[in-house]
Amino acid sequence: METSRDDLGIAIRSAFIKKGTQQKFSLFALIIISILLIFAESIKAKPINYIKSVIKDLIYHSSLVISYPTKAINGIRNFTSGHMEIYDSNKILKKENQDLKNNLLNNDYLKLENIQLKKLIDENVTNSKNRVTARVMIDKQSLYLNSFIVSSGSNKNIKKGMAVLDGRNFIGRIVDVNYFSSRVLLVTDLNSKIPVIMEPAAHQAILSGRGNDPLTLDYLPKDQMIQDGNVVYTSGKEGLFTPGIPIGTVLKKSNQFYVSLFSDLSQVLFVNINVGDNESK
Amino acid sequence: MSFAQNKSKSKILSYIPLLILFFISLNGNSTVNLNFFSINIHYILVYFWVLRDPKLLGYGFIFLSGIISDVIFGIPMGITALSLLVVASVAAYVRVVTVRISLVNDWISFLPALLLANLFYFISMYYSDLPIDYIYLMKNSFFTFIFYPILWSIFSLFLNFIKS
Repeated sequence: METSRDDLGIAIRSAFIKKGTQQKFSLFALIIISILLIFAESIKAKPINYIKSVIKDLIYHSSLVISYPTKAINGIRNFTSGHMEIYDSNKILKKENQDLKNNLLNNDYLKLENIQLKKLIDENVTNSKNRVTARVMIDKQSLYLNSFIVSSGSNKNIKKGMAVLDGRNFIGRIVDVNYFSSRVLLVTDLNSKIPVIMEPAAHQAILSGRGNDPLTLDYLPKDQMIQDGNVVYTSGKEGLFTPGIPIGTVLKKSNQFYVSLFSDLSQVLFVNINVGDNESK
Repeated sequence: MSFAQNKSKSKILSYIPLLILFFISLNGNSTVNLNFFSINIHYILVYFWVLRDPKLLGYGFIFLSGIISDVIFGIPMGITALSLLVVASVAAYVRVVTVRISLVNDWISFLPALLLANLFYFISMYYSDLPIDYIYLMKNSFFTFIFYPILWSIFSLFLNFIKS
């Protein structure tokens, strides 16, 4: 028991009172100074206050110098995060701007489409029973083939030979039918031959397509009295189409008769397909 | 690397604990508060180096560092110094009575050091008429104790590097 108490004493003496290896102060002395300092805090004497204020000033200034790197790092971090925030918000704003631009374009397109569809609705109201409306999907035309691909096919009871109208005007006929699409052979195509009748003389003829050249009227009677500006209609002969669909007007140039179409084929977006033609057949 | 170069490298590196001690005191980073966590780096630093290599962290510097912390945090001068010296005292005692160094030994002996230091801190604050946040003090002690092995590992690696 005695030995153990001695050991404890030696250990405490060694740890607290003796100056350790290369230690200039003993722990015990420093603890006493700390306690004295705590008590000195409550003493309100001028010299002590003066010393304290000098120490505090010194420490505050040292702290200011020491904290420069930390402040600088914080500043850089804030700057970087701010920059990144701006970068991110810029990306978002750019995307928003692009979306808005797209929406604007889309709006313009929708307006145009709306106008077109309104026109179609007006027409469909009057002819809803006989006509099917389809959108022009492909209208790539060449010198040799003038045709459209439209977005309706046998799913809408479309059949070969049906008349295709732009509004109320004849522009061609169905030559190929798929389930969801059809090919329209335009009146301007070289293979297009349409039986027509002219008002008011009621002369019948064949309207022939000539590619990019104006359409011609073939097989006219010899004693015809066709005038410039006479209206050309489908004749309905042979039961091909419903008679009386307007096509265009006659243009007379050096004893040759041409037809100017009512519709501008390059501007057609929607077509009406005359389903009634099938019934008439 | 020559012997002289090795010696100078070791000499320079040996000042790092001291630099950290004064840096955290002057910068006010002696206690790291992260949302719920609160860790007293000061206690761990002092305890580890007094326990493992007291030559690198003199008692006078520990005292001075405590005084600086007190001034920075605006508490009466001597309170943190006293707490740190209590931690250093326990570490010095453990160093004298311990033969084998291990993390578990150090960690377990850190607990009385922490409790004693906080007791002295609490008594000093109590007599200074300053408000004491008991929950904070408890939380700080708990997380400082939990965090000790992490810093112990880092400091041990560094100590081995200096000695190598």
